[in-house]
Amino acid sequence: MKKYSIILLVLLMSFTSCDDFLTVVPETQLSSVTYFKTENDFIQAVNGAYAPLRAYYNGPAWTLGELHSDNTFYMRNVLFGAVENTENLADFSVPISNGTTPNSNVLAAWRGLYLMISRANQVLDPIDAVEFNQDSKNNVKGQALFLRAFSYFHLVRYFGKVPLHLKPIPGREGSSLPLSEEAAVFDQIIKDLVAAIPLLPQKSTQLAGRVTQGAARTLLGDVYIYRKRWSDAEQVLAPVISSGQYSLMPSYAMAFSKNSTNKNNSESVFEVQFREGPDGLQGTFLYQHLPYPLSVAEVRSLFNTSNPQPLDGQGNNIPTPDIIAAYETGDTRQAASIMTITVSGRPGNNKITPIIKKFQDTHAQHNNHGVNWPVYRYAEVLLLAAEALNEQGKSGDAVGLLNQVRTRAGLAATTAAGQAQVREAIFKERRVELAFENKRWFDIIRTDRIQEIIVPYGKRIVANPLDYYFPPIPGAVPRNNVFTNLNKFFPYPAAESEISPYF
Amino acid sequence: MNNQYLSRIKIQFVGFLLLMLCISQLSFGQVQKVRGVITSENEPVPGALVMIKGTQQGSVTDNNGNFSIDASAGDILVVSFIGYNSKEVAVVAGQTTYNVSLELSTSDLNEVVVVGYGSQIKKEVTGAIQSIGGAELRDMPVSTVAQKLQGRLAGVQINQTTGQPGRGMQVRIRGQLSVSGGSEPLYVVDGFPITGDINSINPDEIDDISVLKDAASTSLYGSRAANGVVLITTKRGKSGQTNVNLNVFTGFQKVPMRGRLEMMNAEEFAQFKKEYYEDAARPVPSVFQNPAQYRDKNNDWYDALLQTAPISSYNLTLTSNKDRLNTSAVVGIFDQTGVVVNTDFKRFSLRLNTDYQLSDKINIGVNVAPNYVFDNTPRSDGDRGQGIIFNALHTWPVMPIKDEKGELTLFNRFPAETGNIFAYPNWVRSAQELTNETTRLNLLATSYVEWKPIKNFSFKSTFNVELNNSRFFFSNPSTATSAINQAIPTVASSIRETNNNLSWLNENIATYRNTINDHAFEALAGFSNQRFRLDQYRIQADTYADDRILTSQAAVNINRGGTFNAVQEWSLTSVFSRFTYSYKGKYLFTASARGDGSSRFGVNNRWGIFPSTSVGWVLSDEEFLKENQTISYAKLRSSYGITGNNNIGNYTQYALINNTVNVAFGNTLTPGAAVTSLDNPNLGWETTAQFDAGFDLGFLDDRITFNYDYFVKNTTNLLYAVQIPQESGFTNFNDNIGEIKFWGHEFQINAMPTKGAFRWTVNANLSFNRNKVLALANGIDRVYGSFHITQVGQPFAQFYGLQKLGNYANPEDLAKSPIIPGRSTVGSIKLADINKDGVITFGGDRDDRTIIGNPFPDFSYGITNNFNWKNWDMSIVGSGSQGQDLYMRHLYSLANLDGVFNMVRKATDRFRSPSDPGEGIFGTTVGGGNVTGIERDWPNSNFVWDASFFTIRNITLGYTFTKLPKAIRSARIYASAQNVLVFTNYWGGQNPEVSMQSNGLGDGGNLSPGVDLGPYPIPRTITFGANINF
Repeated sequence: MKKYSIILLVLLMSFTSCDDFLTVVPETQLSSVTYFKTENDFIQAVNGAYAPLRAYYNGPAWTLGELHSDNTFYMRNVLFGAVENTENLADFSVPISNGTTPNSNVLAAWRGLYLMISRANQVLDPIDAVEFNQDSKNNVKGQALFLRAFSYFHLVRYFGKVPLHLKPIPGREGSSLPLSEEAAVFDQIIKDLVAAIPLLPQKSTQLAGRVTQGAARTLLGDVYIYRKRWSDAEQVLAPVISSGQYSLMPSYAMAFSKNSTNKNNSESVFEVQFREGPDGLQGTFLYQHLPYPLSVAEVRSLFNTSNPQPLDGQGNNIPTPDIIAAYETGDTRQAASIMTITVSGRPGNNKITPIIKKFQDTHAQHNNHGVNWPVYRYAEVLLLAAEALNEQGKSGDAVGLLNQVRTRAGLAATTAAGQAQVREAIFKERRVELAFENKRWFDIIRTDRIQEIIVPYGKRIVANPLDYYFPPIPGAVPRNNVFTNLNKFFPYPAAESEISPYF
Repeated sequence: MNNQYLSRIKIQFVGFLLLMLCISQLSFGQVQKVRGVITSENEPVPGALVMIKGTQQGSVTDNNGNFSIDASAGDILVVSFIGYNSKEVAVVAGQTTYNVSLELSTSDLNEVVVVGYGSQIKKEVTGAIQSIGGAELRDMPVSTVAQKLQGRLAGVQINQTTGQPGRGMQVRIRGQLSVSGGSEPLYVVDGFPITGDINSINPDEIDDISVLKDAASTSLYGSRAANGVVLITTKRGKSGQTNVNLNVFTGFQKVPMRGRLEMMNAEEFAQFKKEYYEDAARPVPSVFQNPAQYRDKNNDWYDALLQTAPISSYNLTLTSNKDRLNTSAVVGIFDQTGVVVNTDFKRFSLRLNTDYQLSDKINIGVNVAPNYVFDNTPRSDGDRGQGIIFNALHTWPVMPIKDEKGELTLFNRFPAETGNIFAYPNWVRSAQELTNETTRLNLLATSYVEWKPIKNFSFKSTFNVELNNSRFFFSNPSTATSAINQAIPTVASSIRETNNNLSWLNENIATYRNTINDHAFEALAGFSNQRFRLDQYRIQADTYADDRILTSQAAVNINRGGTFNAVQEWSLTSVFSRFTYSYKGKYLFTASARGDGSSRFGVNNRWGIFPSTSVGWVLSDEEFLKENQTISYAKLRSSYGITGNNNIGNYTQYALINNTVNVAFGNTLTPGAAVTSLDNPNLGWETTAQFDAGFDLGFLDDRITFNYDYFVKNTTNLLYAVQIPQESGFTNFNDNIGEIKFWGHEFQINAMPTKGAFRWTVNANLSFNRNKVLALANGIDRVYGSFHITQVGQPFAQFYGLQKLGNYANPEDLAKSPIIPGRSTVGSIKLADINKDGVITFGGDRDDRTIIGNPFPDFSYGITNNFNWKNWDMSIVGSGSQGQDLYMRHLYSLANLDGVFNMVRKATDRFRSPSDPGEGIFGTTVGGGNVTGIERDWPNSNFVWDASFFTIRNITLGYTFTKLPKAIRSARIYASAQNVLVFTNYWGGQNPEVSMQSNGLGDGGNLSPGVDLGPYPIPRTITFGANINF
């Protein structure tokens, strides 16, 4: 038995080195224990906070902001059934029950925006406790504050009351928060942007594509206008115009990014950065803003890729007859924004179909392009400032800014005069100048025009389905529940509601 | 018979041990040397134990059956040997030679059973263990061990989910499953828990398989034991013998017509399309106006992928156990061509086992088993994105496989007005031109030193290493694709992946055994360290200039997401101990415990303790049963214990940073990073507490034996990525949650209805497994799978969807029934309004979904019959399951009533008008996707079909030659048929055991079992073989 005890002893002794043996940390991945210690960690983390913008602008940003308006519609393809998620947005029949919806685009918008917020919070929470170059730290903080405010500004306009997360969550607890009042969310957005503006460098000194002081000012101006704080908007936007950092491009068509050129040009205030290639940074939205089905030849003629593939399913974001009619005669923006193509697979005799042209460019690989998405352009800064001025009764100053935009579009100066007329002129100008840039739905709700615009639009579709791209096939008509959900806010996503105790 | 060979060596070993216990206890008297030969059926019996009754004195027979022992007149010699009835002979004064002939026992109660860290006599086993000899499985012409075990084991559900050679075997012991942790049992080969693929082991190397089911049997494997343990013992030399065995078989495989999914032929499809347009009052496209033109021009795309394929296997086994050296060597070649074009599975294997007795006190042993496996399978399984078989089923039968010249077509497309919206590449070309191959080089090596410094005490130290190297290469030239609607030429792409893993284990065990009067006990204690590391290298690239060179340096694009290095590592430190006690061999008690410290467990929760205890009572040794003529054996046993499942991932406890969340600024790629998971320092193993009670009965001298087990187990702390609101920026939090209860009954019967010249043995088993979810996470009462729900208060993973009632028979029916606003029409699918709100709704707050089927059987069973008559032998193995459902996922497109794809033949008899309502399975085609989309897009009970089946797994007929040349010791030839017949009403395809992910790639797993997308078919195999001993 003595030997047995000795072995037991040996056995026990062999456990002294046990902790080392049992500690196996991931070798090919960083863990949070060792992260957020250096300047580079924070720069990379704020870069990571930009990443969700890509998925958001490839998808839900346009389905919620543009398809869900009178600017674009979907193209019914009778062979596909599982497309309600976009159909319901286009024809205003988003299902709602107990304030929630299963609509996948609504869900994707929610999740994508909160992902950006969480990443901004991951940067903002520990950054003050870590010592590094103050200029660099200010720049990182400014970008993170902008991205957080940007996300909340979209959320609050989609949903109204939303949970307000301002710190990273510690674990399962705290992963959901009660809904904050709309006003409280706006207060935080404004607070973040006011803090961000002095931290951020001007466009000329910032790496192209990152958030600039001008971008933060423009966003804050947009927020103030949404809140009808006209003089605040005027004050925050004025330095953008006077900064000399921005100018309108010579022609409207030149305002937009190409596949690899003309990005972040002098008119660009903030754009979502895409890059073609195999690195996962590409845009795909060009392929979704198309009528389907398209043959290989038709796809090739659009994009001239080396590997065109046929496209099937259901096409979306097809310009409506309404937006086409909204351009004044002689407006160069029409030809720059919309073109028509022949869709041989379209049922019936009418194969000629309009598509969005302004983002169009050729590229190398199928469903993989580098065209950036314009979030804020200098043209919009002018229109926002014009609106802020007009609403304060400075209609004359407003018209001057408005005419800068019109002149570039090849149009004569506006004939509108007086606050009410100028208000309408600006509203109309925004529609065509910013067509397909996901502004239309927000413009409609902030000016309270759902009844005025969407209701008659719905009636036109039901009365003339063929004009709105329904095929001449028996039974292929608008469903009987179209234009029944005309609420200002989207219902909360059901999948999130199920696991949150607060909504 | 071979089974007894294997038993012999074990009993010999036990005999030696017993002998060692007795040496010091020699008795005094008129001692004389007595000798003799122990025989059975005129053959010497080596290794038999000869004991003097009432003492601990004994001897073991040598290779020729000789023994010698010191005995006095009046002593009684007890001769015993596994598989034989023991015999008693009185020693008479003056007689020194005693030749004893033993009779074969019909009972195997004295057999030795391999248990965790040792072996036990079957009679004294208190746990739920079932073992099966390798020899019983030798004739079956299959590539994996698990296939051979199908239907043989009570309480062990083994399903072949796909027919891809060497793959797809799913083994579940006692229905154990987990939400997201692994559920495969732990495989232990010669004492070494392996990390690689059990299927790469040559089944001919296996001598014995023990399946440990209850907690008392498994708890010595601690945190890895909850899914059950399979112990595999490889071949060793038989005492005193040198044996050379050649086992070869060759044959062919073919997919029977019976059971295939019945699809429309060209004429039926054209007829369907014609009716489709007529019913919609639209002009019929010209190609479908005359369906009869396709009468003899059918293109069966599924059949075109199939071939009759050869299979062969060669195994040469050499075993020798002479002097102090015991060696065995097994060389094997297995070569299977698959029944789907361009499938190959080859295995070259070698095993060398050597044990050497260095001195009386020291034994050493080294086993080395390298093997090489080559496997090429076209992308057969999968959905429309990449499954060739799935896509072939969908291809219009009016599209030609071959052109007028007899060449394979490149791809097919009909004009858009025919409703053809997809281009179909030629799948035969796809199967031929895509490379999807894996080569694996595996090495399993175990070694030990055993030291017996004093009597009754041994110390054993082992060092084991497992190395696996697998290389995967996928290449897709621009001329082929496995996806529907990908135009040719496509983007050429390739993936090259190398996985190297190394696992080592050091184990140190001390054992003390003794028998003092009627008290026999054994104490075992040990500790071990095991470490595993996997290095993974992967390169994915595309856009090649030249199809002949599809390696990364020639690619235009390197795919960043698919190109990486990864490391997976874990370590495990354990202490374990077991105490076994038996009083007079009839009151049995065992207690054991293991402590496991694992790198996978959170820093606050690093060690788990897994105790168990069991008791047994051999009633038949009690006075009141001893004389009973009917009941020859009776034992009651019961056990309770706690085991764990540590398949929770290697780094799940850590918050990880993904530093490839890259972004572009301008056109410049810029590195970015993000925290992508939350840490949980309390993360631990899944815990299963199991109670087992059973009895073993023998009747008529054990000619009939019967075993029964009842078990109930509770699994708690299941690993689950608890979904959290994504407003947090995270999708889930890895936690230990919930409780699932499992219970079941297992019955097993072995009988010999006739013996003598015509011997017939039957072995049958029946098992019932049930489970119920008692709790999930706080605030979460359900988890969804693909078409499944796992819900508190219900069995796991039930099929979930809308309940189909029929089709709206006529306008009146439509008017008075709940409908889907805007979509329901006369003849469209009529679904149940479960929540009675007047509207049919899928999902959301007004959801009408309900449980629509159960993927688990009511019961499973197996039956094996063996017949011996003169030189002939025959065995028939069958097994089945009753009451389970399958989800025909492929119907969503194979019954797409818009006529986009080819369709199941049953769709010919669909609803066409109130006066022609069809068979009731499929609804109207009128109204397009808005109407027909419901039927296919909303999971409903029309997809769920009963899949009860009985399969005759194997029939083998053998003949053993008696007149042989001197060099040949024995020779047997046999014919074997595998997967002979499947009896089932399931009509979704030929494999009722299928379980696929909803994208068809791999096994559906625990949350989404029983989904059919038409996997690689399982062929019927016919082989002829010979088994020769030299």
